[in-house]
Amino acid sequence: MSSSAIPYSTIRMEGASVAEFSWDIRSPLDRALVAGPYGAQGKAGVSLTEIHNFDLAQVMARRGKAGEMIAAAKARFSAAAPETPRAVSAADATLIWSGPDQFLVLSKGGKHSIEALAAGFAGSASLSDQSHARALISVSGDKARAMLAKLSSIDLHPSVFAVGAAAATSMDHTSVTLWRGKDRDGQAVFNLLVFATFAESLWHTILDSAAEYGVTIGHSDELA
Amino acid sequence: MRITCPFCGERELGEFTYLGDAKPQRPAADAGEDAVYDYVYLRDNIAGVMSEHWYHGGGCRAWLKVTRNTLTHEISAVEAAAGAGAAKVGA
Amino acid sequence: MAGDQANRLTSGGLIDRSTALSFRFDGKNFLGFKGDTLASALVANGVRLVGRSFKYHRPRGILTAGSEEPNALVELRSGARREPNTKATTAELYEGLEAASQNRWPSLNFDVMSVNQLFAPIFVAGFYYKTFMWPAKFWEAIYEPAIRRAAGLGRASGVSDPDHYDKAWAHCDVVIAGSGPAGLAAALAAARSGARVILCEEDFVLGGRLLADGGTIDGLPAAEWVARAVAELEAMPDVRIMTRTSLFGVYDGGTYGAIERVNDHLPVPPEHQVRQRLWRIVAKRCVVAAGAIERPIVFAGNDTPGVMMASAMRSYINRYAAAPARRIALFTNNEDGWRTADTAIAAGLQVAAVIDARADVSPAHRSLASKGGFPVLHGSVSAVEGGKGGVRKISVSLTGGARAEVEADGLAVSGGWNPAVGLTSYHRGRPKWRDDIAAFVPDGAPPGMVAAGAANGAFGLGACLREGFEAGAAAARDAGRSGNIGSMPVADDAAFSLTPLWHVAGKCKAFVDQQHDVTASDVELAQREGFQSVEHLKRYTTLGMATDQGKTSNVAGLAIMAAVSGKSIPETGTTIYRPPYVPVAIGAFAGHHRDENFHATRLTPSHHWAAEQGAIFVDTGLWKRAQWYPRPGEKDWLESVTREVKAVRGGVGFCDVSTLGKIDVHGPDAGAFLDRVYINAFSSLAVGKARYGLMLREDGIVYDDGTTSRLAEDHYFLTTTTAKAGLVMQHLEFCRQVLFPELDVQLTSVSDQWAQFSIAGPKTRDLLKEIIDPAEDLSNDGFPFMGAREVKLRGGLKARLFRISFSGEMAFEISVPARYGEAMARNLMIAGKPFGVTPYGTEALGVMRIEKGHVAGPELNGTTTAGDLGLGKMMSTKKDFVGRVMAGREALTAPSRQVVVGIKPTDKARRLRSGAHIIPKDETPGPENDQGYVTSVCFSPVLDQWIGLGLVERGRERIGEIVLAHDPLRGEDYDVELCNPVFYDPDGGRQRG
Ligand SMILES: [Zn+2]
Repeated sequence: MSSSAIPYSTIRMEGASVAEFSWDIRSPLDRALVAGPYGAQGKAGVSLTEIHNFDLAQVMARRGKAGEMIAAAKARFSAAAPETPRAVSAADATLIWSGPDQFLVLSKGGKHSIEALAAGFAGSASLSDQSHARALISVSGDKARAMLAKLSSIDLHPSVFAVGAAAATSMDHTSVTLWRGKDRDGQAVFNLLVFATFAESLWHTILDSAAEYGVTIGHSDELA
Repeated sequence: MRITCPFCGERELGEFTYLGDAKPQRPAADAGEDAVYDYVYLRDNIAGVMSEHWYHGGGCRAWLKVTRNTLTHEISAVEAAAGAGAAKVGA
Repeated sequence: MAGDQANRLTSGGLIDRSTALSFRFDGKNFLGFKGDTLASALVANGVRLVGRSFKYHRPRGILTAGSEEPNALVELRSGARREPNTKATTAELYEGLEAASQNRWPSLNFDVMSVNQLFAPIFVAGFYYKTFMWPAKFWEAIYEPAIRRAAGLGRASGVSDPDHYDKAWAHCDVVIAGSGPAGLAAALAAARSGARVILCEEDFVLGGRLLADGGTIDGLPAAEWVARAVAELEAMPDVRIMTRTSLFGVYDGGTYGAIERVNDHLPVPPEHQVRQRLWRIVAKRCVVAAGAIERPIVFAGNDTPGVMMASAMRSYINRYAAAPARRIALFTNNEDGWRTADTAIAAGLQVAAVIDARADVSPAHRSLASKGGFPVLHGSVSAVEGGKGGVRKISVSLTGGARAEVEADGLAVSGGWNPAVGLTSYHRGRPKWRDDIAAFVPDGAPPGMVAAGAANGAFGLGACLREGFEAGAAAARDAGRSGNIGSMPVADDAAFSLTPLWHVAGKCKAFVDQQHDVTASDVELAQREGFQSVEHLKRYTTLGMATDQGKTSNVAGLAIMAAVSGKSIPETGTTIYRPPYVPVAIGAFAGHHRDENFHATRLTPSHHWAAEQGAIFVDTGLWKRAQWYPRPGEKDWLESVTREVKAVRGGVGFCDVSTLGKIDVHGPDAGAFLDRVYINAFSSLAVGKARYGLMLREDGIVYDDGTTSRLAEDHYFLTTTTAKAGLVMQHLEFCRQVLFPELDVQLTSVSDQWAQFSIAGPKTRDLLKEIIDPAEDLSNDGFPFMGAREVKLRGGLKARLFRISFSGEMAFEISVPARYGEAMARNLMIAGKPFGVTPYGTEALGVMRIEKGHVAGPELNGTTTAGDLGLGKMMSTKKDFVGRVMAGREALTAPSRQVVVGIKPTDKARRLRSGAHIIPKDETPGPENDQGYVTSVCFSPVLDQWIGLGLVERGRERIGEIVLAHDPLRGEDYDVELCNPVFYDPDGGRQRG
């Protein structure tokens, strides 16, 4: 699936009228996200970045085929797919545990889109496209953990939730996939995949929770 | 209350949904109405240790069999349903 | 003398004399200092009368210096931020604080309702039950309003709270409640072990009783030791010290509730900050070092302003440098109370007398008395003289029978100490009685919890430190931490000797529960009337049921009860302890979830486009759905909806149906799996085709419906109703994991992946041709009714196209990846412009489905069978499926069942209303003749009249029969005709066309 805007215009066959339309791609946070500072002034304690336009595939092992699925993943990503709640960084994808014998493949640019993955996992796993089903928010900053404590019941202490830890959990009664990416500038980075139709609502809840610490908001096309 | 999901680890109650007694087994297709009636309607309501179905819907979506003392809420065992995950052939 | 801090001592205290704070109480201006509570500032200003009592409107002062306070409750702040029943003893003073006394009218000094005292005999225990029983209707009209005016506490603001609250989770190895000597020692030991520690202190300063009572620890003055301990703890990264935070409850699995008063000490929270935060603390272990509460002795006039707990007097004098009185009498039954005499003398105050109920007084105290020049009277206080101005004279019954009188303006009372057993008893724990201290102490605790120090009945300073340190070390060890705990802090243990004394018999009112105005004679009366169990005593007299939960009254009440019933106190027993330990604002429990954030909302992919179009949205579960799209000039919703329906039936329209639940069903056994969850077969469905499916619950009742398409041999795309989406997913996972684990099938929710639009109307194909690649064949042959397959759109985007119809028109549903949903809505508008394309909302959707007789939520109501819905023939007899056997039961297949039928008023101009009951013509309306009801109604533009669906007994056999629609709610009765539920195009030619 292409993930960029497809400008398109057509001239109607029979009539003389000209219809013009384009396939603008819009993130579910397109309206709610306003880049810049938010909340308390001064040095921002929380940094929120929405990652645009990614490919996300759900890979679920078929009955009794978990081993074959892991082998297929190894062949494709040269990495061991997570068999416990962890996020594994491969060269050009992140494999995030999403439940028993299943994981998500997060990548960019169509290289590991569902179509690209199909052949490798044929027979060992069922694939389901989730690229448009989620919004991806990256949370960092001095107060990231304090802010997330208002949303998440998971213990995010570094001794418990180290780099690479992942959780299929809930925020505001809504399922989310949460994992800790590589540290950036010495600070922990927490990534959140949230359901697209809940994204705007959850975004406002996140802003409310973060406002007291001061927030800097942005978006990016790069995976964290 | 907190339940230790065999896949996710210890999680708070809000991530789980309760179904009820895990003892009754769905009768075979030809078992007859009485057997199905028992399965659907007859439930033990034990003041003590019970085996219960819980769903980790706010997490990994696994169905769990939880052994819980209904008087103290002490949970002594949690196991995954037979078909959780990809299961094993022959399971 | 009030207003000038006349009772402020010239030196000492933990107040910041360089920061004066002005505040108002009952409209008068006062000054206090940073570090004061409202109560200590009032004490410093000589204000003794701070409120009127609950029932008798008796003048009341300040009894304690902590969260156990029953009397000094005020309305704090004003306007929308007014907070009733705030304890002056814990309210931190801030610049500009405003407070008002409660339960008085027109003023605190002159209170009309104090005449209630004259009628006191009728206000005895259980008087509500006895007096206001009959006639019942008088309760609401007369008794309740009158009682509410006369009794009660503060007033709520009556307007929305402008402040924010939130909730958060915290995790640690060891949580400690209380930062007195035991709590600090526990924190030191646990933290040094390497444990993650949370230390909760309800006060705004750490130290607990050390702040008032001092002492020597490790050879250092207590204040210095506290400072060092706190500095050590603060330096450790995994220690979190939370002041202004009360641990109020313990829940299963080591979860603790705490309330942090983040900004209650400020008039208005700083921008973006919350007033209070509710914490859920998950801890492997908990040390309760919550201390003990000094208990009163019940005697006549014990509620007179100026009567104060002995320990509270020490707090005011030592911690706040505020003298509660100039000439203090002390009434004690124990050694500890004497410390107040020491304190008073050290502060340069006069001691009028010490009244000691014990036979012996230690030589040290005798010499203190002679040095201080005051008498030691063996006996007890029998009466207190003084009204709203406070204590003037104290009558003493001396041991041996003689009487004495003491002139004093303050009376300190100590009846001993009650360990704070609340937290340890919240899992139905029953504390046990200890004779040596005449108090209840914890007898076990919820798993993972242990009490230490005074909360465990250890009243000596050395013992508190020892128990706290050992408990902290053990808790950390249990949590798997094994660092070097260093040396234990040490201090001497003072002797604790006490002779129990609960109640001094007398003629005048002696209060047990001051907040609820429960007297000793109320307790005795209740016992005489047969309320023998403590639980009954509590409810009958309301003892301990006020906002203070009887912290100063429960044990005395039990003791009096025990005395009159001839049982011991442990035999009498305690009531069940329940959280919260301190009142917690509902706002804190709600946190962020209020107003528009009451629950999370879901938005469809075309939501913002629909909003631009002026759509009116309706809440459907968590969703916001476009209900209709009003146009200028339309006078009401009906006009808009009718236009939308006509536009679809006459041309083409579209509707965002992305709210339907969507599930990918994958795997070699996907078809076999669906055969077992639907009543009809899906394994036989050809690839590229869709089929309507119906699911039952195992008891045979319909669960959900929707269309499911086969996109590949091993891939089905299943849809559910909007309402049941999550539940169906849960049900299917149950079927997969629990019922049929042998099947190789995988389930994934793709509800959010696809933006799905229904495009309906005779010009649907014309519109689609503009959007879809011309190479795709949309003709009846190329894409027949119930076809389903992937198509390419112009420009290359792939979409899924389903030829299904809910409206009865020629229709397709088209799915695109959700981020293209908004573009799809815009493009449908552009491409459809020549055909008059009209967006329609859920109302028009509903009208068209009723016109077609399709069932929806009102018919799939949890009581109907497939047969009731007219879908019984779908039920396969060739396979097993969930609900099959139970659906065959006699009652579920009885011919007399209420089944779906069409309904229309015989008078075409009449509006049909849902909920109307169906009664046979010529029968009397009533339950005995009720044959069903109208489930769904709409105005049908096609028929130009109101029509509906209903569930009616034998409905299908009665087509054409005229019956009565009986609507007692609206007071309407009218004739309706039972008819074929498919009002529109019954042959289905249009949708196949
Ligand atoms: Zn789980």
